[in-house]
Order: sequence, then C-alpha cells, then structure tokens
Amino acid sequence: MALTHLNARGEAHMVDVGDKPESQREASASGVILMQPATLALLADGGLPKGDVLATARIAGIQAAKRTHELIPLCHSLALSKVTVDFHLDSARSSVEVTATCRLNGRTGVEMEALTAVSIACLTLYDMCKAVDKSMEIGEIRLNSKTGGKSGDYQRLVTGTPIVTGECAAGEVSLGPRCDTESPCIRVKCLAELRERLGVGELSVPLASLARADVAGLKKVLKERDPRFARLDEGRVMCAVNQVMAADATPITDEDEVAFFPPVTGG
Amino acid sequence: MIRVQEAPFDSGAEQQAMLAGRKSIGAVVSFTGLVRDFNERPEVQALTLEHYPGMTESALADIVEQAESRWSLDGVSVIHRIGRLAPGDPIVLVVVASAHRRAAFEACEFIMDYLKTRAPFWKKEHASDGDYWVAERESDYRDAHRWGT
Repeated sequence: MALTHLNARGEAHMVDVGDKPESQREASASGVILMQPATLALLADGGLPKGDVLATARIAGIQAAKRTHELIPLCHSLALSKVTVDFHLDSARSSVEVTATCRLNGRTGVEMEALTAVSIACLTLYDMCKAVDKSMEIGEIRLNSKTGGKSGDYQRLVTGTPIVTGECAAGEVSLGPRCDTESPCIRVKCLAELRERLGVGELSVPLASLARADVAGLKKVLKERDPRFARLDEGRVMCAVNQVMAADATPITDEDEVAFFPPVTGG
Repeated sequence: MIRVQEAPFDSGAEQQAMLAGRKSIGAVVSFTGLVRDFNERPEVQALTLEHYPGMTESALADIVEQAESRWSLDGVSVIHRIGRLAPGDPIVLVVVASAHRRAAFEACEFIMDYLKTRAPFWKKEHASDGDYWVAERESDYRDAHRWGT
C-alpha cells in the first residue's frame, strides 16, 4: 500500500479528489484525559474558575473540526454536514473520555476532522482545568470507525489491552507468601478473562487479614496487595462464595471458596 | 439429565433415549447451538469454552428446576460442551419433552435464555487476527428478562 500524500518523486502533495465520486462519509474518534479525582469532581460540579468546562471544550472541538485544513498541511477544506463532540466522565478511572463524530457528503474522508476535534477538545479541557491540576495527561487519541469512500469501512477492533492467550504465567501478580495450612484461609479464584487480565488464577488469603469478614473486606485486602485488583470493583465483575452468587456484603468464613469472574457467555 | 463434557453429543440419540418406552409424551423440542465462523470478528477459527466446575452444573440444574416449576414437563436434557471447538461443532443441546407442544417450545427457549445469562461458561474466540474473550450481549439479557424475573 502506498502513501497517497507523496507523489512519484516522494514529495508531499495534495491528492486531487476532483474525479472521486461524492459519497456519504462519517468518522468517529475518541481520546482520554486523565486527571486527579478532585479535578474531575470540580469539573462535574462546575466549580472550576474558568466556568463551564465541557460546553467550552465542545465548542472548541467543533470549531477545530471545521478548521482542520488550516492545521494539517495536506487536508482539504470540507463543508462538514455535522460535527458532534461528547464527553463521558469516568470516576473509576478519574478521566474524561472525549468522542467526536464528523459527517460529510463529499469526496474525501473526515477522520482527520474527527481526530482534530478530539485533540483540541482535550487540549481545551486541559486549559480549562490547569489552574487546579497540572498533572493531567492526554492520551489514547484514535479513530474508532470510518464509513464511506473508496477505501471501505473501518471499525476499530475490541478496545482495551490485547488479551494474552493461554496460562497466567506471564505477568504474575506478586501476592507474597501463601498462608500456611495451620491458619484459617480463604481460597480465591479468578476465572476466564479476569484470570488472564490479572495474571492470577488461584490464591489464598489469611482470614485474619480481613478487617471485615465479607466479600468487600476481601476485595480491600486484595487491592492493598496489588492495585491491579481494582478491576474487581468494575461493574461487570461477578462474585460467587462457595459456588453461589454473592455480593459485597456476603459473609466469608474459613475455607470458603470465593470466585471472581466476568459476565457469562455460554450457549 | 445435565452433562458438561468435552466430547461431542448426538442429538438424535439423546432424544431417543428420552422418549424410549414413554407413551404419554406428545411433544419433544430439541435445540442445538453451533459454533459460528463469525461473531464479534470475522473468520473465527475456533473457540475455547471455560466453565467453573461444580457451579456450572448446579446453575444448569437450577435452571432446569425453574423450567419444571413453570411448565408441566416429562423430561429435560441439557448438554453443554467445554474445551476447544471448531466452527460447525455443536456446543449445547437442550431437549424438552412434554404432553403438549406449547410447554415444550416455551421451556426449551426459557432454558436457553437463562443458560446464556446465568450459567458460568465463558467463550474465548480464536480469530485470524488474534484471540479475544467474547463480551456479554445486551440482547441475551433482554431475552432472559421477558420471562419476568
């Protein structure tokens, strides 16, 4: 596959799209800005000194999409038919996810416009919040989908980190020594995708280490041992005590088997 | 009868075994689920089914018990396979026998809807561009929900 923005001599040039047929095109991109939990709380409550952060960032993203051709050297100026910029506040990750969708009936794709909208919306979020938080981090800016045009449709495959096949040997979680057989223990199992993501299938936890002898208390101890266990608090993760579905308040005693697993997908 | 096994099953033989020597059965409905060669991604080459030994069997037994309390049934068999399966392979078999067709049809659907959302099985698909765990489907939860729980 060749780079279309280089001519036969390898010099940058603008592609002549005059002969391409017009088609309905749409592109969607997203990005994430990580911030301190306190910053996110201020943002959600509208307590930041520069005022309505999200409304401002939304307008900035829309403006940026329209001006993409001024910023990216070989982009055509386009009469976009629609630009939307949306925000999702994620308190678990302490971040704001920005998504932008651009639409056009025309001869060239609109992915650069969507990516520019996301980038500038993220930068505007930074500008609006920097008075209280300079450690914010912008990342994961990427194209999620694109439809229309000669090169065909594109859809980003499953988001998130790739899943490693096979056993959990790679990236084992350090859990310290297993409890000896004399003292009361809880047997913890992580199943399926959760096992692979955490890198641990089975472990033992001394009952005495739990401040509260229930599932919530066990999760707390696991998270203190390794921050990766924060995943156990995600809404999707289910729990069973002695093979019966359980909740945070379910009590745990000596020799109990506690399993954590993702939603089921059999049949 | 509930079985979780690696080996393939013969749906015809299972149905015959259920019906053998019984004359009060007026309807038997059999459902077989197969491995598709496309799902979240195209070109699925195989899938691996994981389960939670013990809990899986009791979850299936509980689902069958619930079906038996809702409909008048003369026999229920559920077989679910585990391990590595290829496209076209049967994954799951549900056979329901009853005096009348309505109970057999409905109970078979009920068991599948509940199995998909409650029985601890997890699918990992092996596609041409990598392996991934299958995500749960909103539509499966809607399907299970229509039985009113």
